[in-house]
Amino acid sequence: MTSLPMFEGAGAGSLGFDRLAFGVEKAPTRSATNEDPIEARAIAAVKTGDAAAYDYLVSKYMRRVVSIAWGVVRNAADAEDLAQEAFVKAFENIGRFKTGEPFGPWIYRIVTNLGLDVMKHRKRFRHEEITDSAPAERRDRADLPAISNELAERIDRGIESLPDMQRMVARLYLVEEFGHAEIATMTGLSEGTVRSHLSLARGKLKEKLADLHGGSND
Amino acid sequence: MTDNDNFLERLRTDARPLRYEPDEMMSTRIAARVRERIAAESHAGIAQMLARWFRPVVVSLATLALVATLGIQWAEQSHDASAATMDTLTSTQTVDISVGGDTFSVE
Repeated sequence: MTSLPMFEGAGAGSLGFDRLAFGVEKAPTRSATNEDPIEARAIAAVKTGDAAAYDYLVSKYMRRVVSIAWGVVRNAADAEDLAQEAFVKAFENIGRFKTGEPFGPWIYRIVTNLGLDVMKHRKRFRHEEITDSAPAERRDRADLPAISNELAERIDRGIESLPDMQRMVARLYLVEEFGHAEIATMTGLSEGTVRSHLSLARGKLKEKLADLHGGSND
Repeated sequence: MTDNDNFLERLRTDARPLRYEPDEMMSTRIAARVRERIAAESHAGIAQMLARWFRPVVVSLATLALVATLGIQWAEQSHDASAATMDTLTSTQTVDISVGGDTFSVE
């Protein structure tokens, strides 16, 4: 199993947990109440030191967290590490989590922040080989899930060819089906910036997938 | 709904198969590792808490022991010094004793 080197010695500050706590605590307009009583009880139990209660949260959010992680790292082993790291970080910072709110946005934001760190790390280490003209070639396509659908594969290639933030936003919107506000919370961007990234991504995807969608304006 | 929204909505539908689904093995492995790391951190947490309590106690005791040792040493040294001064005084002074008109000097 490979380990992601960017986690080594990474403190909460470097992972943006201050921002994370701020976002969750100070955005009451966006926050929703937790409608899953079992989840609310599990969070309360974890906060009082019952680590076993955390199992429920891990199993409930596992699929989505792994999928978000995979969207960034593009291979199963690293996605596994990233998801694991996200759950551990969430546990470590559970004291900052506001009681009564759903756990989903919190853990999604953590895994997205970790994903952004991975992206920055990769960018730093692959700086020489990255060019704006051919960003798609740098992606590791060896570990893609079996996409039987040709259309989906074309969309995947299109998303992967986008610049980093557009790719992240497009993937969260199109594949994970998050809303603008949710993506803004997860990435720490403003809703306007999310819309702007998405609009740019849409333009590029429309060009790339013109033949599939008949090149129409809709 | 605008044209842009239509395009993105259609892409959303078409992109649905791109969502990554972890298999049972992977999910179990992640859950087990998370549990393991949390447990390890809890043990580390207890050790840290004990260290937090014990460290100041140990430091205080060590300081007391050091002060006591230095105090005893200083007291012994000053006792030795005063004894030595008395010896010096008595050894350098002579006592004159007169017996029958003769004077004897005793050191």
